[in-house]
Amino acid sequence: MTDSLSERRRLHPATLIVRWLRIVPQLLAGGIAIAVSGRGGDGLAGFLWIAGAALAIGAGFVLLAWWRFSYRIGANEIIIEQGIVQRQRRIIPFDRIQDIAIEQPLLARLFGTARVKIETGAAARDEGRLDMIALSDAHALRDHVRRGPSGAAATASAGEPLLFAMGVPRLLLSGLFGFSLIFLAAIAGAAQQLDQFGLIEWDVWFTEERAEAAAGLATAQAALAAAALVVLLGLVAGVARTVARDFGFRLTRAEGGLRRKRGLFTLSEVVIPLRRTQVAVIDSGPLARLFGWCRLSFQTLGADQKEGGVQVAAPFARIDEILPILAEAGFPPPPPRAAFRGIPRRALLRQAAPFLLLAALATIAALLVDGRAGLGAAVMLAGALYAALRWRKHGHALDGRALFVSGGLLKRRLWILPFEKAQTIIVSRSPLQRRLRLASLLVDTAGAPALRAPEMADLDGGEAEAMAARLLALFYAARARVRLVPKPS
Amino acid sequence: MQPDDLEDETSASPGGMTPLHPDQLQVMRIRAAIATLVLAAAAAVAGWTLLGDGLAAAAPVAVLLLGAFAAIVLAPRRYRAWGYAEGEDELAISRGLWVRRRTVVPFGRVQHIDVAQGPIERRFGLATLILHTAGTRGAAVPLPGLKQDRAEKMRDRIRAKIRQDLV
Repeated sequence: MTDSLSERRRLHPATLIVRWLRIVPQLLAGGIAIAVSGRGGDGLAGFLWIAGAALAIGAGFVLLAWWRFSYRIGANEIIIEQGIVQRQRRIIPFDRIQDIAIEQPLLARLFGTARVKIETGAAARDEGRLDMIALSDAHALRDHVRRGPSGAAATASAGEPLLFAMGVPRLLLSGLFGFSLIFLAAIAGAAQQLDQFGLIEWDVWFTEERAEAAAGLATAQAALAAAALVVLLGLVAGVARTVARDFGFRLTRAEGGLRRKRGLFTLSEVVIPLRRTQVAVIDSGPLARLFGWCRLSFQTLGADQKEGGVQVAAPFARIDEILPILAEAGFPPPPPRAAFRGIPRRALLRQAAPFLLLAALATIAALLVDGRAGLGAAVMLAGALYAALRWRKHGHALDGRALFVSGGLLKRRLWILPFEKAQTIIVSRSPLQRRLRLASLLVDTAGAPALRAPEMADLDGGEAEAMAARLLALFYAARARVRLVPKPS
Repeated sequence: MQPDDLEDETSASPGGMTPLHPDQLQVMRIRAAIATLVLAAAAAVAGWTLLGDGLAAAAPVAVLLLGAFAAIVLAPRRYRAWGYAEGEDELAISRGLWVRRRTVVPFGRVQHIDVAQGPIERRFGLATLILHTAGTRGAAVPLPGLKQDRAEKMRDRIRAKIRQDLV
């Protein structure tokens, strides 16, 4: 296996067909545009001529790109050479590779091939991309990189202990909670596109007489029915999206990480490397929480940038199912609710004050200028109420190994941040916070999303300073502990 | 408002921290002056074309006044908001006039270090030390206003403490 990997190779020949199929519609569209403009001859003959040319050019281009792309697995690195005219030779050392993801889009599955994405944690996405190679080669490559050339055995994930899986009933249920209106918007957008191309003629469907007739029917009942239809479509869209993404979800304990397999059309397989896992996040939406469901994800270094460095480990689970996964990943379980410390009462002022100020201004405007500004005042008062309710949900706790931060009113989040994963500690004070003797404390971690970082907002100023000093001491202690344990190499 | 309108003492000035080199204040003033002149020129052009002859001078004059305020009043306050404390294993940096921020960077977390020097800083023999970490919001922590040899000495000391382990 190792020998066959170490020679210079091209991508799987099926790549030719898949890429050709992908490129031809674009070429055809361009060709038709030329035909319409009347340069490619008349009628059917001209169209066939252009279609033939598009197919041939596409085939030639794809073949050339395939011919000029090769990869080689060295003793310690992957070497990728590509480029038709301008050649590029990229060397990725194994010890810089953070993650190798294997994806199987629908077409790739027909040919038994897979797309391999190699991520190194550098700024660019997909630093190495082999699209596509045989599935067995993909597995061999990943095992080779993970374990070195010696242990190329035991690639099967079948024997790995199962940590979490979702059956079809659970999957459908989670889809119901994934209610989504985004797809509806997309469908409406697509319909408008079709209209523009003249494929659907709204004008014929919606004539004036019909509109008047419709107006006569537009009773409260009809409106209710329409609303119910929107909700139903949203549910269907949510279920469809969830099923496509999470079908056959399995999380198993692999060597050095957690192996996640999922997907209906595009099968994806990722190993979440435990050494590079920084923070665990448990979150849940308002409805799902009501029924006791939540989601577990891990923030990792150099994970797929598309997902903001956050990998879902259990999309829809009971807390009892999440705790064993946390333990397996080396994270402590969250302490009971009572162990969390809230933030001082005067922080209410800082969270709600901006809304109250705007509400006051809008009220004045409503009285003096225009009564419609009263609506703005009402919205701002609602905002103040939201901020005040959210204030109650801020909290943090410490145990021997990690910092726990909770926050969010509708979507509630809990971050578990082991002390040794801290990068920098930042205490910040805005002018209003200084007035109220408050400060925000942020423990920065590698791969943290810019938004939704576990910031402890509006602590008492003195407490924030003491906490920062304490976290620093805990960080050093935890680092010393980590260093004593020999690194798995 | 609150019964005691006292500002939080710990944030009023970076107490116990080393201030930047006094020349840094001059650097900040010169930078403010240059920015003001550029903006004033732009305002003059805009005033000339958009406003009438009578008002044409108003825009650049307003910019110059604001610039003078920034250079004379704000610059010293911003300078005083900066400060640093070099610990055994970490560097703490305070900054910011509006939002005051104190960042603690453990040396073990530093990925690489830059010593940067702009043209104005070079005139005064000053440099900016930049600590890069793997974090997101604290990814690049700058410390300006160090004498160049001091910056290089700090860099060498920190480099000796950097450990290669990333995670």
